[in-house]
Amino acid sequence: MATVRRRSIFDIIHDYIEELEEITDEIIERYMESPSWDVKAQSLEPLFNVFVSSDKVTVTVDLPKADPESIKISILSDNLIEITAKMKMKIHFEDFGVTHRRGEFTQFCCRIPLPAPVETSGAKARFLRGVLEITFPRKRGYEIKIE
Amino acid sequence: MVGEEIKIIEHKSIPEGVKIICGLPDVGLVGVIAAAHMISKLKLEEVAYIETDLLPPIIMLENGLPKSPIRMYGSKEIIVLSSEVAIPSNMVSLMARSIVDWAWRKKADKVLTLGGLPVPNRHEIEKLRIFGAVSDESMLKMLTENEIEIIQRGFLVGPQALILKYCAEKNISAITLLAETFFNYPDPEASSVVIQALNRIMKINIDVSELIEKGEEVRLAMRDMMRRTQTELAKMRKTQEYDVPGFYIR
Repeated sequence: MATVRRRSIFDIIHDYIEELEEITDEIIERYMESPSWDVKAQSLEPLFNVFVSSDKVTVTVDLPKADPESIKISILSDNLIEITAKMKMKIHFEDFGVTHRRGEFTQFCCRIPLPAPVETSGAKARFLRGVLEITFPRKRGYEIKIE
Repeated sequence: MVGEEIKIIEHKSIPEGVKIICGLPDVGLVGVIAAAHMISKLKLEEVAYIETDLLPPIIMLENGLPKSPIRMYGSKEIIVLSSEVAIPSNMVSLMARSIVDWAWRKKADKVLTLGGLPVPNRHEIEKLRIFGAVSDESMLKMLTENEIEIIQRGFLVGPQALILKYCAEKNISAITLLAETFFNYPDPEASSVVIQALNRIMKINIDVSELIEKGEEVRLAMRDMMRRTQTELAKMRKTQEYDVPGFYIR
């Protein structure tokens, strides 16, 4: 005879986490559906990374062949930034051995959502080894005194 | 023996006792870039490929002809395994098993895997450190003699981890080489550091200057593959390599 086991809270949490993971996978895969290049805008989407620590949010962007002088960082809203950079030279599909597509690329462009509230005015940026690093201090609220 | 889900098809005869070098997609694509450089510098020719239904329905077209995206290139002494596509996370263990099974049947002299160790501040680092792990205690000396730091304690996640483990189980000499690298940016400089370590171990001399000179081109060309690999790394829980192992028993 089959026994009906009551599901423990851990089972429920486990299922919930699995469901969340599936949703995350789906979002990632949907994002992957679009190409990393845009022929009309002549732009390539660079690889980027966002690290959140207790006091700052650090964004890095990989910009090989970018002209360091042309890098622009724009704050579009409280939690969205845009990075653009011109390339030192035009890049064609042929440069990658691809001859069945046509197009040339002159710039990098990407929009990066910030996962935590930041003080955009305190941001600092530097360009090291072809990688752009932008550091934002995280927004501070107020302190609660321990009695 | 592993089932028939992953087959290694040899279309040129591969002698026994070869050294097998694996450069599979992982952090910084260090292994893939190093493998591509070795194949070109040593003028290795395609000798085998991997056939499997576990990959998405994808082929590589070259000069109008279909190719497997996971292939082996070689000479009499060396076989280099690499992939043009990210390895799906759910295929990693089976793939590692079939590679090691094949290495065992080929009585491989050694299996060397090339890869990277992700460090968050990689862009600040001038001189990259190189680390290693081996399948057997007697080989540890080989690392220190060749200026490769031994990883004393820590986690390793991904194809390299399993290849090392399965080699240890089957008593195949295996070395894992890991250069400090970016998590999700292609890193030809890290590849050059790994190849230099390989040069010392194997007493060969593969020139790496081109990897540095053409670094920016390599980084640009590897962008899409890095993007796909990053998705699979997330599924493998690659960031566990950052974890500090708990409970330390001396």
